[in-house]
Amino acid sequence: MKISINWLNDYVDLKNISVSEIVDKLTYAGLEVEEIDDQAKKFENIVIGYVKEVKKHPNADKLSLCKVNDGKDDYSVVCGAPNVAAGQKVAFAKVGAVIPNGGMKLEKAKIRGEVSFGMICSERELGLGDNHEGIMVLDPLLKEGLSFADAMEMKDTILEIAITPNRADALSHIGIARELSALFNLHLKYPDVNFKESGKKSEELASVEIKNSDNCPRYIGKVVSKVDIKESPDWLQKRLKSIGLRPINNIVDVTNFVLHEVGQPLHAFDLDNLGGKKIIVRDAGKNTKFTTLDSKERKLQPDDLMICDANKPVAIAGVMGGENSEVKSSTKNLLIESAYFNPSSIRKTSKNLGLSTDASYRFERGTDPEITKWAARRATQLIQQTSSGEIAIGEIDAYPHKITQRKCELRFNRLNKILGYQIGATDVEKILIKLGFIIEKKSADELTVTVPSYRHDIEREIDLIEEVARIYGYNKIPEVSKISVTLEEKVDHYAFNDRVRELLNSLGFYEIITNSLLSEDIAKRFGNVINLLNPQSSELSHLRTSLIPGLLTSISNNIKVNEKDLQLFELGKVFEKVSVSNISDFKDFNESEHLLLAQTGNRIRNEWFEKDSPADVYDLTGFVESFLTKILPEVTVNVKSMNESRSRFDHSFGLFCQNQNIGFGGRLKEELCALFDVDQDVYMVQVDLSVLKGISITKKIFNELLKFPKVYRDVAFVLDVNITSNQVISIIKEVSSNLLHNIKLFDIFQSESLGKDKKSLAFQLEFFNSSRTLTEEEVEKDFRNAIKAVEKIFNAQLRGS
Amino acid sequence: MIDKIDETRKSFDENLSKVENLTSLEDLRIKFLSRKGLVSQLFESLKDVSKEEKPKVGQALNQLKIHTQSKFDELKEKLEKGQKSLDEFVDLTLPGRKRVIGSKHIITQTLDEIKNIFKGLGFSIYEGPELESDYYNFEALNFPPDHPARDMQDTFFVTDKFLLRTHTSPVQIRLMKEKKPPLRAIMPGKVFRNEAISAKSYCLFHQVEGLYVDTDVTFAELKGTLVAFVKQFFGQDIKYRFRASFFPFTEPSAEMDIWWEPKGKQGRWMEILGCGMVDPNVLVNVGIDPEIYTGYAFGMGIERTAMRKYGIDDIRILFDNDKRFLTQF
Repeated sequence: MKISINWLNDYVDLKNISVSEIVDKLTYAGLEVEEIDDQAKKFENIVIGYVKEVKKHPNADKLSLCKVNDGKDDYSVVCGAPNVAAGQKVAFAKVGAVIPNGGMKLEKAKIRGEVSFGMICSERELGLGDNHEGIMVLDPLLKEGLSFADAMEMKDTILEIAITPNRADALSHIGIARELSALFNLHLKYPDVNFKESGKKSEELASVEIKNSDNCPRYIGKVVSKVDIKESPDWLQKRLKSIGLRPINNIVDVTNFVLHEVGQPLHAFDLDNLGGKKIIVRDAGKNTKFTTLDSKERKLQPDDLMICDANKPVAIAGVMGGENSEVKSSTKNLLIESAYFNPSSIRKTSKNLGLSTDASYRFERGTDPEITKWAARRATQLIQQTSSGEIAIGEIDAYPHKITQRKCELRFNRLNKILGYQIGATDVEKILIKLGFIIEKKSADELTVTVPSYRHDIEREIDLIEEVARIYGYNKIPEVSKISVTLEEKVDHYAFNDRVRELLNSLGFYEIITNSLLSEDIAKRFGNVINLLNPQSSELSHLRTSLIPGLLTSISNNIKVNEKDLQLFELGKVFEKVSVSNISDFKDFNESEHLLLAQTGNRIRNEWFEKDSPADVYDLTGFVESFLTKILPEVTVNVKSMNESRSRFDHSFGLFCQNQNIGFGGRLKEELCALFDVDQDVYMVQVDLSVLKGISITKKIFNELLKFPKVYRDVAFVLDVNITSNQVISIIKEVSSNLLHNIKLFDIFQSESLGKDKKSLAFQLEFFNSSRTLTEEEVEKDFRNAIKAVEKIFNAQLRGS
Repeated sequence: MIDKIDETRKSFDENLSKVENLTSLEDLRIKFLSRKGLVSQLFESLKDVSKEEKPKVGQALNQLKIHTQSKFDELKEKLEKGQKSLDEFVDLTLPGRKRVIGSKHIITQTLDEIKNIFKGLGFSIYEGPELESDYYNFEALNFPPDHPARDMQDTFFVTDKFLLRTHTSPVQIRLMKEKKPPLRAIMPGKVFRNEAISAKSYCLFHQVEGLYVDTDVTFAELKGTLVAFVKQFFGQDIKYRFRASFFPFTEPSAEMDIWWEPKGKQGRWMEILGCGMVDPNVLVNVGIDPEIYTGYAFGMGIERTAMRKYGIDDIRILFDNDKRFLTQF
């Protein structure tokens, strides 16, 4: 919202307060000043110039060569305007000036061979209007050399203030002035509303009937006759222009002025176009179409509130007037509307129509029902001032639904308890009075106040505490620099995730964060989808069912910039619908946290000690085992994977801990990668983090260090090629005593010499007993058993024997 | 003769101790151990020794030979090894065999830093779901059904009652419903807004929520805690201010700004967090008596904080996961 400091001075005396003080105080009090626009700065180096002489430009028909005096010197200036003439006072932009409209900086320039030291400006160039027919000709009494901003009384500062939705009362100059009166302890004065009324009473000239008093508790109509529709006087135009509004005519300008003065939206109807000279406030009813002031036809909902005459709708209540009753140049008689509408009714209508206006913006936040009469009178006063006109006596005040003013209590000890700081009773009282509260009762312990009718946001004690605190100043409340200790149990939900991240970092994996939204097509491939009702685009319309699409998108992005060797992981939530019906409860969907880690490209890219070596599935299983053994009691990678993984992976495997499945992985299928333009192998593992967390080791216990020697035996078998090393290992484990602690595969060999479809696997068996030294015999016994079992079960042969 | 042997032995030891390299060792060999060397000469003269003395002298001679030969061999080996290490050239400017150490995403790193500060101040860490109900995200937080504050939040709805949470504040409600005061916790997590993706905004981001409820929690303590936080996070000499603001779930409400001066640009105030005293309506909603307990709450965006800290001006780069970006942190 734009606020003019000059305008504010009509209500509070700010002459001795700097703009920066005003800005700071407002901002601290919750009315954040986002921009400060110093008008005088815009007109720097623009002065009143006196046109001494005008000659034809020697080389151009349409240009003139002028001599302009700035009070001291004469300047040669080339001018293209047809209306330039000797003896005029003009806005003369000197070299160095920045033209307000367009921001061009003036320099000495040669125009068709003649040097021009500046420019004579048009209204449009000065940003003061649309006129570009010719230069702006000023009052001949103005003294040349005066700064343009001074001469035209343009010195003003415009503040752009962000108003939070609770502060409807601050959406006007008087609203801001009231705030400043409290902040700087100033007197707030409302303009006097005095004018002559004559002729008939308003009630005799028109009538108002409210059919929906819930949504329109109050409606004031005031009649003004015999008005002249014309341009507004300068002062009024200047006020409106200063806050970026375009003057239209005296009537529209006055209603706009009052809106920005006191926050009450007004509407002026052409009384002669109101059927039956009557206003009826009622619901739109079925199938209502209505053409608004902006010439657009709008379709209304049956319960949208309308302002109608005896026959037809004439305005959408609180939002916008209609073409059929708008003030035109021929209008003679007016009905000024000043009403209070139910905020939620206006909000609903405005939302339905997708139409937000200065009026609806204020009504939907809550206007002041008690200012309506003042605002109507203020408008008629100004209309009379600007266009003569005859004001009917009194006004029609339909107020079927009297809005009672709230009372509220404030206990001083409660104020202290919330703030942790004592603000004196007199300070509290003064602040509240300045904000318009009326002190009804006071004692040593508490105050009772009546809440002003414009403060819809104040209902409770805590609301009063906030008022006092923000006007007193948050920055004056001390910071307690020691904090009290609470000894409740400390919990860290994220500790496990942090550990996972650190382990994966140490293995060379970088963490990524990807979008939680996917397209329907992609999301559907990974589970039962949940869709957004209001997606931004079809690309981001469904909640992710898997982390895989995000990973592949990231890999694809990287391949595009030639980063092809990647080790990435993500920890994130995935969502799946579990019920058949719509989601109406937390049971209807699963939100689970997944870990995905992936490797693609080369393990090593051309180094002096090793050539390019593409990553393969053993890199992946190695990473996974290294990682998991840090947090689980034991891990097995098993090819007995689930269907789920087989559909998505080649070389798919399951991850198991004590026979519980904790995840799966493998090489992602080419078709899947191709969907994301990824044309290289991607190895990845997906783990359900809650499962992993559930079985992770939370407490570690020290194992005594071995005091007796270990004994090793090596053995190599020739086996069928499709027998896995795990199969062999589990058989050896099965037949061995508890002296055997480890079996390590240390060599794989395949060759014609072994026979077709044969391979050799070599194992090292590790034996020990933690309480004594082993004897040769017992080791030998286990070793022999193992060999025999493998030979028998897998039809294996001992190699090298 | 025995004396001569002893003398030769002494002379050998003496010579040997002076040998510094293979050349002088070779000289030593020629002098003592060659065919015409001193040791051989002594063996030559054995034939002149009397029969009685021969065994004794012979034994002494043999010992001399073993002694000199073994000492010689020992030194030779030692010198040759030394020579070898001089011969071998090691180019230490070759790149070593590097191992990659990954890193956490900078959002996580920033969050870690924030978590650590608040842990030090005695806060626990809790989490809550991203797919939330309207009740936790709005209703329990004192957003009336058609309050204009909802205009400020453009929400992704899944049904009319379920949505992607727009802030981490619903976790406050969950925590207060689950546990009794005193409660002191931060609640980080991902949140969603229906905003078009641009340099300035993304449809998701991360927040940290803070909550402290006990019998004597005050606005002054809220300020103290947050000041302690910004000083630790941005540096002890950071300039800050508190402004009044509005949130449905806190009252009084405030926003905290810090003075921010990007390199080569004009300084300005920048909002870093919203905060306030927990609104009594919220406490009533979760069954806590606001006459007995008071509380404060705060919330801050992590992306914005991280971007400020690392000088990033386009939020999208955080979610592109470009390796050239990831490996910088």
